[in-house]
Amino acid sequence: MPMYHPRLTTIDPAETKRYAGLTSKSDFSAALLAEACTQGQLLAMPKGVWQVYVYDQEEHTILSPEPLVLTADSVIKHLHGASQVAVMAVTIGLPLEQEVSNLFSQNQYTLALLLDAAGTTAVETACDAVCTIIGQHAGRSGLTAGRRFSPGYGSWSVEVQPEILKLATGASIELSVTDTKMLVPRKSVTAIVGLYPYHQTVNLSHQQELACDKCGQAGCHARKETISK
Amino acid sequence: MIAIFDGAMGTMLQQAGLEPGQCPEIWNIEAAAKITAIHRQYVAAGATIIETNTFGANRIKLSHYGLENKVAAINAAGVAAARQAAGAHAKIAGSVGPTGKFIAPLGELTFADAYAVYYEQISALAQAGVDYIIIETIIDIQEMRAALLAAKAVSPQPVICQLSFDADGRTVTGTDPRTAAITLEALGASVIGANCSLGPAQLLPVVEILAQACSLPISVQPNAGMPELVNGQTVFPMSAEEMAVWVPKLAAAGASYIGGCCGTTPAHIQAIRQTADKLTTTPAKQSQTFTALTSRTRTVYLGPQVSPVIIGERINPTGRKALAAEIKAGSFVTVKKEALAQIKAGAGILDVNMGVPGIDQVLVMKQAIEDLSALVDVPLAIDTTDPAALEAGLKAYPGRALINSVSAETERLDTFLPLAKKYGAAVLCLPLSDIGVPKTAAERIKIARQIIQQAEEHGLNRQDLLLDALVMTVATDSQAAAETLLTLKLYREQLGCPAVMGLSNVSFGLPRRDVMNAAFCAMALDAGLDAPILNPFDPLMQDIWSAAVALGGRNRQAVAEYSKKYVNMPAQAPESATTAPDILTQIRQTVINGETTGVAPLIRQALAENHSPLAITEQALTAAMNEVGQAFGQGRCFLPQVLLSAETMRTAFTTIKEVLPSHTTQSLGTVVLATVKGDIHDLGKNIVAALLENNGFTVIDLGKDVTAETIVDAARNHQAHIVGLCALMTTTLPQVDATITALKADGFPGQTIVGGAVLTESYARQAGADAYAANGVAAVNIAKQLLGC
Repeated sequence: MPMYHPRLTTIDPAETKRYAGLTSKSDFSAALLAEACTQGQLLAMPKGVWQVYVYDQEEHTILSPEPLVLTADSVIKHLHGASQVAVMAVTIGLPLEQEVSNLFSQNQYTLALLLDAAGTTAVETACDAVCTIIGQHAGRSGLTAGRRFSPGYGSWSVEVQPEILKLATGASIELSVTDTKMLVPRKSVTAIVGLYPYHQTVNLSHQQELACDKCGQAGCHARKETISK
Repeated sequence: MIAIFDGAMGTMLQQAGLEPGQCPEIWNIEAAAKITAIHRQYVAAGATIIETNTFGANRIKLSHYGLENKVAAINAAGVAAARQAAGAHAKIAGSVGPTGKFIAPLGELTFADAYAVYYEQISALAQAGVDYIIIETIIDIQEMRAALLAAKAVSPQPVICQLSFDADGRTVTGTDPRTAAITLEALGASVIGANCSLGPAQLLPVVEILAQACSLPISVQPNAGMPELVNGQTVFPMSAEEMAVWVPKLAAAGASYIGGCCGTTPAHIQAIRQTADKLTTTPAKQSQTFTALTSRTRTVYLGPQVSPVIIGERINPTGRKALAAEIKAGSFVTVKKEALAQIKAGAGILDVNMGVPGIDQVLVMKQAIEDLSALVDVPLAIDTTDPAALEAGLKAYPGRALINSVSAETERLDTFLPLAKKYGAAVLCLPLSDIGVPKTAAERIKIARQIIQQAEEHGLNRQDLLLDALVMTVATDSQAAAETLLTLKLYREQLGCPAVMGLSNVSFGLPRRDVMNAAFCAMALDAGLDAPILNPFDPLMQDIWSAAVALGGRNRQAVAEYSKKYVNMPAQAPESATTAPDILTQIRQTVINGETTGVAPLIRQALAENHSPLAITEQALTAAMNEVGQAFGQGRCFLPQVLLSAETMRTAFTTIKEVLPSHTTQSLGTVVLATVKGDIHDLGKNIVAALLENNGFTVIDLGKDVTAETIVDAARNHQAHIVGLCALMTTTLPQVDATITALKADGFPGQTIVGGAVLTESYARQAGADAYAANGVAAVNIAKQLLGC
């Protein structure tokens, strides 16, 4: 059960702007954005954990002690060619989302929204850091880590959240899931990372689209502006 | 002559029949002859240093196989197996690899536990008689520090420290080669290098930087190219001959110890040896003369050749009751805020003082250093008089810290200097002696020389030392500042160590201390100050600093930075020839611009000019929000800007209330809002509530995860005109249906609006809602339409 608490020495204001629904060119108070990013940095407590399992791609099965059969086309396609998978869980903890609620109750709506967006940037940054470690470990045995893929992406239902969280040993970083399959704390992510042998990586970039391309929420304000087609 | 390491042990073990999942190190005991045979192949190939099969023979790694109680036996057997093969031509390096766990704050393992794990393994290797300790394939500088400290504690043998770098030139935890080299040389490494992860081509620039950054020999053990998994087997594609081509380049870059890591075989080592033997020159090392501090990810140089650096002084509870109380209560929130703010204000190093009476200094300093090193990239100065707290801070710090400070007082010299040497810290030398404060520059130089001599006797070098010129107040001695400036000049001329000092004492007891401090800073920089300890938030100091650094000529970029900083400063605004718009227009524009602090005076002015609250509300505030709503709908402005306008609107209403307490506003209607049962996301609902409220609705916000029964009760009890329901995920959509059904069953006479990330117009219709709102602005417009506003 590898565990990693990524450092968060900055929160990218450009990404935060995007998650807050502001386009990159929109004119907005840099000071307020910077304040939200700094607060986010102070409140986020990033923690990540993951487990690596052998993946049977013929049977679409993660060979964990209690094997998990994948049924959704999107994740099966994403993992095509993977010989192993890393199942990961990442959170930035509760303090940031509590402060967002506090700010709303104090009528500081804008800072609340921006802090929430900074939290999203933080958890995404933490996920990227955990993926880098997963990739580094995998590389030692000649495997290449693909992009992460989360329950809720494409046709992969969030109903699978409890099983994925368990495979990732998410409880060890105080992550839990509600009956309605929502992660607690909210600013958390579970994901699966395919680990691909070299000869499978040639087509990886075509197979592994950006997260936004897999999402059906066309009107999402945080949608990446440069979407691969 | 270049020393030649052996190649991969893991690759050879697999070829010798090691099964996947089997502990490689247990073969030291169970198949010692096979291990010796592998070593013999490498010795025969020309290796001059062979590494023991003990890479994973630490307690944590061995526990994966239930072998945690065999650490000593496995390591001793590993050395014995190597000894059988080494003969007279090869030395033995005891191999020490990572634990596989991250040390706090990057993980759960404590520094003390990591140290103990390495202490145990390296003790066994040392007792078994290795010639070197080699700590290798480490990705976290803090883990390397723990292992190196353990090695220095148990063995007099040279320690080779090799980190693994990624393609971006840093370890996966962010340390660059320069920072690693400076940190590890100070900590007592004998050889510094890189191995694994990359092939020789990718490691070549790493070797170059390592060689330039330290005085030590450099080692490199690349993989045989980048690994590939073919038919279930990990394959390294580079042939022996291809690998040997890189030997002259690696040697030219500064490597004097060369070998191989994953995928390299005796054939590779033979080719490397043959090529190395043909080299006519070997890398020559020169001792480095610069002074540098490091964090986990950054190096900061100090001295006359580089730009001066601000040491931020604000993390210090002295005279700050609130900060002291917070630290005493175990909170570091303000400490962390101060750290980020000081860096933003220009600090390149942060001084950390936890001097609160009555606290556990050791625990608090450790925690502060851990927290700050996880948050910031600049190096830290540990500011304490308590040796135990100093050691706790130095242990926890993943870099080369500055110790603030060491005087010539006997007790301080005897306790602090050994700690500086042990943990590779730099030392700020304070020319105070047991007999007090020296008044003249000559006396200060004399005492500084005494400290330097003592430091050198403790094994420290000139580049480990910084000198404080002592700052006394001019209010009581008009020559005090002049004497300090003379001291700085003499330091630079005679001693050559960088100069550091706190400035603010000079102005003690005088008015406008900021003026005095800033002027003194400029003069001191000219006299030879390299790193002032100051309050970087002082605006006058910021201006003088920018100018003084630009004028000093030590930083080529400083003039450009000065220009950049000040070129866009607004000039004095000319008197406007145009007539100011009327007050209601000004208010409307202020709300549209979201100027939360600008609206209150305008409201007061409008009321003073006898505009009625109704006129202000309708002609300025509501008009502004309508305009913002339209702009949002047309994609000309975005949600944060809408919310900023709503906040401004709220301030406007509050101001009207303050001026005219008896004024009452007419509510447009009552809206009960809730995120449905099972759904814990409330950001969108909170935004809708804020916008409705500031558009004149009365909002009853029931929060998140609210049952249908609670919503029905609230709608009835508050005689709601509208119920707004929010659901974020597919798993909670059915609760929207259930709540609408319950409202209808209760005879709710009002309207329902639904919204949320996955909700659609068709779903809203199907669920029986009166309307669907795609966003907060739409919700306001729909609410107005439904109620005929």
